[in-house]
Amino acid sequence: MTVSPPDPRLLVHAYVDGELDPAHVLEMERQFASDPALAAERDRVEALRRAIREQLPLEAAPAGLARRIETAVGLRRDDVRTSSHPSWRALAASVVLAVFLASGATWFALRPHSADATADMIVASHVRALMAPQPFDVASSDRHTVKPWFNGRIADAPRVVDLADQGFPLVGGRVDVIGRVPVATLVYRLRQHLISLTAVPGGKTIAATPKDIGGYNLLSWSEDGTAYSAVSDLAATDLETFAKAFRAASAER
Amino acid sequence: MGSVSSEDDQARFRSVVLPHLAHAYALARWLTGDRADAEDVVQEACLRAFRGIGGFSGVNARAWLLTIVRHAGYTWLGKNRSGSLVMVDDLELVERQQASAGVVSEQAPETPEAALIAKADAARLEAAIAELPVPFRETLVLRDVQGLDYREIAEVTGVPIGTVMSRLARARSRLIARLGTQAPGDAS
Repeated sequence: MTVSPPDPRLLVHAYVDGELDPAHVLEMERQFASDPALAAERDRVEALRRAIREQLPLEAAPAGLARRIETAVGLRRDDVRTSSHPSWRALAASVVLAVFLASGATWFALRPHSADATADMIVASHVRALMAPQPFDVASSDRHTVKPWFNGRIADAPRVVDLADQGFPLVGGRVDVIGRVPVATLVYRLRQHLISLTAVPGGKTIAATPKDIGGYNLLSWSEDGTAYSAVSDLAATDLETFAKAFRAASAER
Repeated sequence: MGSVSSEDDQARFRSVVLPHLAHAYALARWLTGDRADAEDVVQEACLRAFRGIGGFSGVNARAWLLTIVRHAGYTWLGKNRSGSLVMVDDLELVERQQASAGVVSEQAPETPEAALIAKADAARLEAAIAELPVPFRETLVLRDVQGLDYREIAEVTGVPIGTVMSRLARARSRLIARLGTQAPGDAS
């Protein structure tokens, strides 16, 4: 459908939300430069979004809700193994949800750039791992087992810390391929959720704040020249807690 | 249809529905305005999702579940807050008529400083969002609290992307006007 571009006051929102294609982004930036009122509107919308993000983060569902639902639909049995070991196969079925959104025939376009491509590959690796019989190549909660396993498989063995005390037990590690480069991915767990933490030496921080990609959250940071990207179906706040715990633990060493 | 669901359905339910419970709960809470009611709505929605799991296309589980939660939420609103839904229909009609007549509706006369908006605390934001009519509120919550993109919001709310954008713009304009005019001390 081709339509004439809407009112610039509407487009301010699409601009702030990152929904414009590059040509429209440039056009909006030109208009911001020449129209202070429009620029002020953009600042207000951004301030509002920031306030909501900071003040009203997505809460976890209430404790016990999942259990009540499982009971209600007849899934709950007493010998549930999920409390100690998540069912990899059940998690694997969730792969179907990870098909990335095809672009539609509107004049909105997702902006392609290389950081996005890397982000997609990291998320895709996480999804593929969930689909496999096991989400890791080496299963161990012992960092002294996981770290040496990487030696010889990739150039830089990553920093491996155990975060069991912070609620994120290490469950293993695997080698992912990002672009054409094999990189180390550590796998952690929070409740039934897996977190893949991919370390790319010399990589860029691709999502400094949690970014939603096809229903998974991605968060990255850099330490000592290595870019770390954590991906999970956890809520953004839980992923931020994980990142904080990892950074604090690795700083101590 | 037997009453016993297959193992496959159970596995699908666990992997498709349960990972997105926080999102389901968030949408239900903002629709109903109450935590306990939200749990009821989510539970009802999950029952519907479980019964319909075979019909899930496998593309976007979160959007699929949220669509069901929204329907369950609307059913709940119809029973318990029927006023809110009726008012909304009228309101959209009025806005459409004003728009076609060239009337500038509801545009805040004030242009508050961004810094004032940024200072809004959780209670004021929550109250201001709760006051929004349902279609504006759900659009804003799906975008700014839950982080869905326009295409996903269009899928969940069953409207074109252009409508998502205009509802989002209206919702935000109302919040900005509200947060910008009311001094923080007035809230209580």
